[in-house]
Formats: sequence, structure tokens, C-alpha cells
Amino acid sequence: MTETLNLKDLELEEYTLENGLRVVLNPDDSIPVVSIAVYYDVGSRNEREGRTGFAHLFEHMMFQGSENVPKAGHFQHVMKAGGTMNGTTSSERTNYYETLPADQLPLGLWLESDRMRSLAVTQENLDNQREAVKEEKRLRYDNQPYGQIFDILSTMVYKNFSNAHSTIGSMAHLDDATVEDVQEFFRVYYAPNNAVLVLSGAFEIATAKSLIDKYFSTIPSQPKPLAIDVSEPEEVAERYRNYEDKLAPLPAFLMGWKIPSRRTGEFNALYLAGKLLYSGDSSRLYQKLVKGEESVTQLFGFTDERRGPSGIMIGAIPKPERNLEKLRETIVAEIKDLATNGPSEEEMTKLRNQLINGEVQSRQSSLSRAQGIAEYALYDGNPSLINSEIDEFLEITGEQIRAVADKYLNTDNRALLDIIPPAQK
Amino acid sequence: MSETFRQTAPKSLGVVPFNVPNPFKSKLENGLKIIFIEDKRHPIISIRLAFRSGDINDPADRVGLNSAMAEMLSEGTENYSSKACAEEIERLGAHLSASAGSDNTIVKASALSMYTSEIFDLLVEMVLRPTFPASELDLYKQNTIEGLKFQRSQPDFLADEQTARIIYGGHPYSVHSPGAEDISKITRDDIAEFHKKTFIPNNATIVVVGDFESESLLKQIDASFSDWKADEILQAPINPLPSRNRRSLTIVDRPGSTQANIILANLALKRNHPDYFSVLVMNQILGAGASSRLFMNLREEKGYTYGAYSRIYSKRHAGSFEATAEVRTAVTDESLQEFFSELNRIRDEKASDEELTDAKNYLTGVFPIRAETQGGLTGLIVAQELYDLPENYLETYRDRVREVTLDDIQKAANKYIEPEKLAIVIVGDAGEVISQASKYAESLEIFDTEGHPKKIDDYKPDDKLETAQVAGEWELGVEAMGQKLPVTLILTQNGDSVSGKLESMIGEGEIANGIVAGNNFSAVAKTKFQGQDTELGIKGKIEGDSMTGTMSNSMIPMPMEFSGNRK
Repeated sequence: MTETLNLKDLELEEYTLENGLRVVLNPDDSIPVVSIAVYYDVGSRNEREGRTGFAHLFEHMMFQGSENVPKAGHFQHVMKAGGTMNGTTSSERTNYYETLPADQLPLGLWLESDRMRSLAVTQENLDNQREAVKEEKRLRYDNQPYGQIFDILSTMVYKNFSNAHSTIGSMAHLDDATVEDVQEFFRVYYAPNNAVLVLSGAFEIATAKSLIDKYFSTIPSQPKPLAIDVSEPEEVAERYRNYEDKLAPLPAFLMGWKIPSRRTGEFNALYLAGKLLYSGDSSRLYQKLVKGEESVTQLFGFTDERRGPSGIMIGAIPKPERNLEKLRETIVAEIKDLATNGPSEEEMTKLRNQLINGEVQSRQSSLSRAQGIAEYALYDGNPSLINSEIDEFLEITGEQIRAVADKYLNTDNRALLDIIPPAQK
Repeated sequence: MSETFRQTAPKSLGVVPFNVPNPFKSKLENGLKIIFIEDKRHPIISIRLAFRSGDINDPADRVGLNSAMAEMLSEGTENYSSKACAEEIERLGAHLSASAGSDNTIVKASALSMYTSEIFDLLVEMVLRPTFPASELDLYKQNTIEGLKFQRSQPDFLADEQTARIIYGGHPYSVHSPGAEDISKITRDDIAEFHKKTFIPNNATIVVVGDFESESLLKQIDASFSDWKADEILQAPINPLPSRNRRSLTIVDRPGSTQANIILANLALKRNHPDYFSVLVMNQILGAGASSRLFMNLREEKGYTYGAYSRIYSKRHAGSFEATAEVRTAVTDESLQEFFSELNRIRDEKASDEELTDAKNYLTGVFPIRAETQGGLTGLIVAQELYDLPENYLETYRDRVREVTLDDIQKAANKYIEPEKLAIVIVGDAGEVISQASKYAESLEIFDTEGHPKKIDDYKPDDKLETAQVAGEWELGVEAMGQKLPVTLILTQNGDSVSGKLESMIGEGEIANGIVAGNNFSAVAKTKFQGQDTELGIKGKIEGDSMTGTMSNSMIPMPMEFSGNRK
């Protein structure tokens, strides 16, 4: 079981156009498809008070047409070419991507370049997409049990407004948005020098380069957006809150800790500590709470990975009439054990195999390769981390995991959110 | 800065052919089928051991048995406790689990190639030597029953549950999920016996895709499975499907809902039916994606919803057509009107050549994307095997899509979408939904989120208000395109239901299924506009002898306001 596996590096070619657009090419012709990822360096972290939800609203606007592409034409062009596409918004970035049959590469580049240079920001489009976003909020957050708890916990963990507010934002702020606000947002953030473009899949490098030059090189650059401050004090913003969730069938709780930024040794070790605690059926908390004490029906945990201060969240939906306080003590005790004794040898083998397996699985699809490369290019200015970051994770020792668990998790500096179902009639 | 090359979409670089990889096929003497595709691109493998038995094989008094059996496979075997099994799988960094479906039960594994032999042995252990420990079964039952409470808080679960019940009637596909009382009945002996009857080699296929050596894996399969005895295949109790003769409305009252989850459904076709490809292309035009008609209308034009779609669910023995959207409660009425307008349009009118070409290009183009990952490719092969699809199904898939004609599509729409017999299921705040939706159906039933039927009278809105009287002849002025058009309504009332007719300069219409709730009146007038059948939605508020409100139609972007008096 100590066999090692040397992964073959992905082939990468990286360059920058004169207007500042960073380009990364990853040719791989095993299946005749190509994925295009365009990542803009704008997320909810860039939003100011009174203007929340803009980054996400904007993602919707990007499908509303541009100089040469009619409203909703983006969907239609991609689908009628036999492709798939979407866009998403996070705290860190807004991304757009499509996977197309290999011969349709020019179409994808044409579409992405047309909206980068000439998006149609009109009153009608804005009104219509505001409504779509409101429906999305009702669907994903307001009408789901436990739908809002992660956004609430974020406001308790993070103190800095840039980090604390939700990506979906405030509907009142969206209602206040004018066409001019949205046009200005586009000018500032959707400039070629604020984006990366990644191609992964079946294409000739020379053809790709000449097409990229044709479609993107004449889009003018813009002054750099204002730098933002995402720094955080060490303390969480708020240690306790309870929240009545009208749709929740059972009480639940969510705990959150503040941890260092991604791409730091401490973040990486905490990511692994988190996996040992809550990820998979053999994880410590699953064995203790779902199997051992048989007290929770659902257990979940994840790292909120950011370029600045980040978070770890652990939550559970206990069975009825369980003592929630006692369950939290179990979680705290398990963290304390990890912080005192560190992981076992078996746990370290497990982490190692899971990291390698996960890495290989994610390299199968051209889209997931393009997305991975784009993140490293945008956040770190170094796309080749797609090949090397795994080694940094594999080098982390049990002692390092123990030490960060002790420093960042084994502490009262955490946020606790109690979720209370509506009073029974 | 005009760059003329940007004005039109660029041309293809020339199609790159994609060939479905050729599988190696074999069979053990006990009937176990073997399908291998060696694919050395990545150092990983995917395994599926698929059984042609599923939830429909549950005995009538043991609903939920198959899914309990599948879930329990990893909770203890002759050589591993539940915990040891989880640790062993995850120590390899691998995945191994079983999942139950209506027709099939599939044990899935994926791992790094260097652990092929280890993960295969664990799969064999789970499949051949599970012990179903009593304490683990108790925990499974507790957790599943608690999990059901969570499911019941989710609107889509409630909508799917009612839809399956209504359209499948006494057929086993009608069970969307077992209930708490079903789960508590299941015993260890039930599971062990069911496992013995359904996990038999002559009802199973093993599919392996990835970086492995066929010869050595074949040896390992032979060594592990050749003593596995074939047995008689358990037949599922396939009861006849119900026939429907009218539109029905079923509301699940979920107080506090901010949206109405709408499903419109009728029976359609089974997976290997010859009409499948016509229906597939038809559905692509109607509602499968973000460039289909339903999405373009209800989301992009009207902004009623985050997404509106139609789906074809085709199983081994039968299938359904469903159109669905989650809309904000206040536009439930308008959304239903748009749904019916689109469902009728695809039946009544031929789609355009452009729509046909686009739908075909999409379906043929995305096919290779599904084969990029091992998971995607194994999924395609397993489906071909389990749904009795032809040998050359994957090779000919794209040709079959290309053969579909505009006539085929219209025929498919008329055969498989039945607007007059649809089951309408809406999960939402019943008080708000009922007044908007009841006029679309000839029957109404209401359930709570536990699935218990409720009295309809309890949901009549504003029941403190007396039902207004709307009978008589109303002369109304409708604000249309800057003018006031005179429209006359001649209504008769029976309790809270209203019928009658509409007269105007541009045509006449019939009103059926109108309803009065308190002093609110709503109805749909079936009318003709510029020679086409269309529906006009009417909503009014009655104050003595005067009425104000709106009229709306799918061809008009904004509802038209009206006001007027009784003669």
C-alpha cells in the first residue's frame, strides 16, 4: 500500500496579450471536445456596502446579449453547436465556461470575446434578470429548509464586510441598481486585464493562438480595479446566534472557525484535518456521531476556501430530542484528540491515496482541467500549480495537521449558530 | 472600431470524428455478463456490477426492501465490520457503494489502477458475503425514518411523490419513496432472503472501464464469481397502468412556501420504445434545456421562474412526460397559462427547420462530452445493457437522432403530451395556489406534507367573506395598446363556480371552470385571436356591481387592466 504514483504533468502554454488578457493552453486530444474557461477577477468580495449581489446579478447579465449576439443568443449558439455552458459566482471570482465539439472552438471564442468587449447592458435586460435572480434566491435559499444558514454563519465568522456578506446579496440593493451602476461595474471588472482565458482539450496550438489573437487582442484594457482589503482580525465576528427557520423540520447547528488563506501551509494542513474529521464514512465524526452514538442523521463539513482569511464549517442535523450541547461537546472532544494526538498512520495513508485519486479523477474532463488551471492562473499567477500543488499537500506531516488543529480549531474562538424549527402548534 | 468579422458566428473548423470505443464482451457459465473497455488515458478504473432487479421487485408488503438491502451491503460482511469496510475502501482513496433504482440495483466502484485487485475484492465481499447485522439495520431504519422527515420538508420531493402516485396508480413505479411505517416493518431475514433471490449472476452484468489488464482481471472475476449459483429470476408485480380521462389538480399544502412547485405530467413511453428518439428531439425543442421553448418563455421573457423545463423519464416498463417549474406564488396562474400554451403549440404547429437542426446538433454534439470521463462512459454502457437497447445503440445513437423529422416530432408531441388529461401537481401555500390554479382542472385534491388528504373546504380563501355574486352581464373597458376596448362578460354562477361567455370586437370566447373566492373572480376564456386558439386569463375583484382586474394572454407581454359595471 505504499506504492507511489507519478502523475504525468499536464502540458501547459502560458502567455499574455498586449491588452493584459492572460491565456493558458492545455492541449489534450484524447476526445474531440474543447473546454473554454473565462475567469474574471470579481466576486462578492469586491462588492461595497449597499451594493451587494452585483457580481452575481452581473453573471446573469452576461447571457443577455452583446453587440453581435442577441439576448439569450449565447445559450442558443452553444447548444445548437452541441455544447454545454454555464457561469457561476463565488466570493472570489465570476466564471464562464463552455465545452464544445472540438471543431467549434472559433464559436466559443467569438461568443466569449463579444461579451467581454460589448455587453448589452439595457434597462429591459436588467429588469428581467433582477426578477430571475429573485426567483433563484427564493428557489435556492428562501424556500429550502436550512437554505440560509451558511450565509448567516459567514456573517458570524467574518468581520470584514467584503468577506461576510452573501453572494446572492440583498434584493433591495439589486432593486436600487441603475443601468449606469451596472455599466460601470462592467467597465471596471470585465476588462481583459482583469481576466484569464483557458483552453483545454483537442486543438492545435497555432490555430488556437491565432483565433485568440483575432477575437481578443483588440479589446481595450482598463485601469486596474481598486485594490480591496479582505484582512480579518483573529476573532470571529460573533460567537453565538440562534435563528428560527420556518421550513426546518428539526433543530440543527452549524459551527465555524476562521483559518488562514488558501495556498498557505497552514490552510493545506487544515484542509486535511477537516477531511479526517468529516469527510467520508470512515471519518472520525461520522463514526462517532452517525455510527457510534447514533445521534445525528446528517453531518456535513467543508472548508470555505478564499484568497484571504478562510473558514471551516461543521454542522449536523441531530435526531429528535437529542441534547445538542452534548453533540457539540463530542465534536470539540474529537478536535481536541486530533490536536493532542495527531492523525494515525492509517489516516495519513488514507489522505495520501484520496489526494492522488481525487487529482486523477479531476483530470479526466477538459472542463475540470480548464477550471483548475484558471483558478491557479487568476489567484496565484501560476497555472503550473495544477501540476505541483498536489506535492505540497502530500508533503504535509501528521505533526503539521496536529499543530494546526490545535492552533485554529481547538479554541473557543468559533461561531455557533443554532437553527430552531418553528414552534410546534 | 467596427470589425466586420464579428458580425456573424464563425464556421466550424471541420468535424473531428468520434468513435465509441469497442468493448470486449464475455460471459461466465453462471450467466454473469462481462463488458470491458481498456482506456489507458488515466491511471484509474471504474467498475459497475449492475443487477436487473430494483425497487419494483419489492414485495407489496415490504416496500423499501430493495433500497434497504442495497444500503446495507457495506454495513458488515463476513470479513469486515461496517467500520472496517469504510476504512478499507477509503484507505485506498477509492469509492465503493451500492445504489437502488426503480428497475436496477448497481454496485459502483472507482479507484486508482494500482488498487484494482483490492477494490475488486472488496466489491466481491460486499456482493457475495454481506451479513446484514441487526444493530446496523436498526440504525439504518432510524436514520432513514429521520431522513424522510427532512425529505418531506423539501418541495421537490413532495411534488415528485404525488406525481408518481397519480400517474402510475397501482403500478410499482407509483412508489416514489417508502414511508416510515414501511421502513419499520423490514427485518433482517427479509433482507437476507431478498438479497439471495435478486443478487444472482444470471441477472447481472459487470462493466469495467479504465487502465487495467483485461486478462488478469478476467481471471480474478472468474476465480471470485464462478461458484456463484444461477437461480430463477424474480419477476416484478407489474400491475396495469391507470388510464386518465381528464385534467386533475393536486395541491400539497406547504405553509410558508414562497414558491409554487409545479409539475404537469402524463404517462409517456418506456426506454426502449421505437418512438424514443422522436420524443427525445421533440422534448429538446420543447423544454429540455436553457434554449428550449419553456425556458425562453417562462424565464427569459416572463421572468416567472429561475428555470422551466420538460423531461422524459423512461424506465424499463413505462415512462412519463413531465413539465416543471418553481414559480413565485403570485404568478402560478400566469405560469400555468404559459405551460398550456406551449404544450398545445408543439402539438398543433410544426416546429421550424431551424429548431429541428438545433436540437439535433445539440443531442449529437454533447454525446462525446459524456464519454470524456470513465464515469460517463460506464454509465452509457450500463444503460444500454439494463434497458435492453440494441447491441449497436451507442454507435448508432447520433444517426438515430439525425433521422428524426418534423412530422415525427409533431406526432410524438400529439401522442405523448396530453394537455387535456394532464395531472397538475403543485406544492405551495394552498390558500394562495388554489384560487389561481383550480380553474385549470376538473378535479381537485389537497394533501398536507405528510401525504394525508385534507378537506378542500378548509382551504377556501377568505372564508369569512361571503362568496360574491357575479352572475349577470358585465360591460368592461380593457386598456389595450393605449385604447379602451369594450368587452362584455355574460356569466352564470353555481355556488362558487362560474361559466359563461366573453364578447368583444375581436372575437368571442367560452368561459368554463371560472371560480369565485370571496370577492375575487378568476377564469380562463377560450377564444380565437387572429385565427388561432388561445386562452385569455381573467382576474377580477367584485365590489357590488363593479369589477376591476386584469386580462392576460401569452402573446401579450403585460396583463391588460380593465374596469366596468354590471348592467
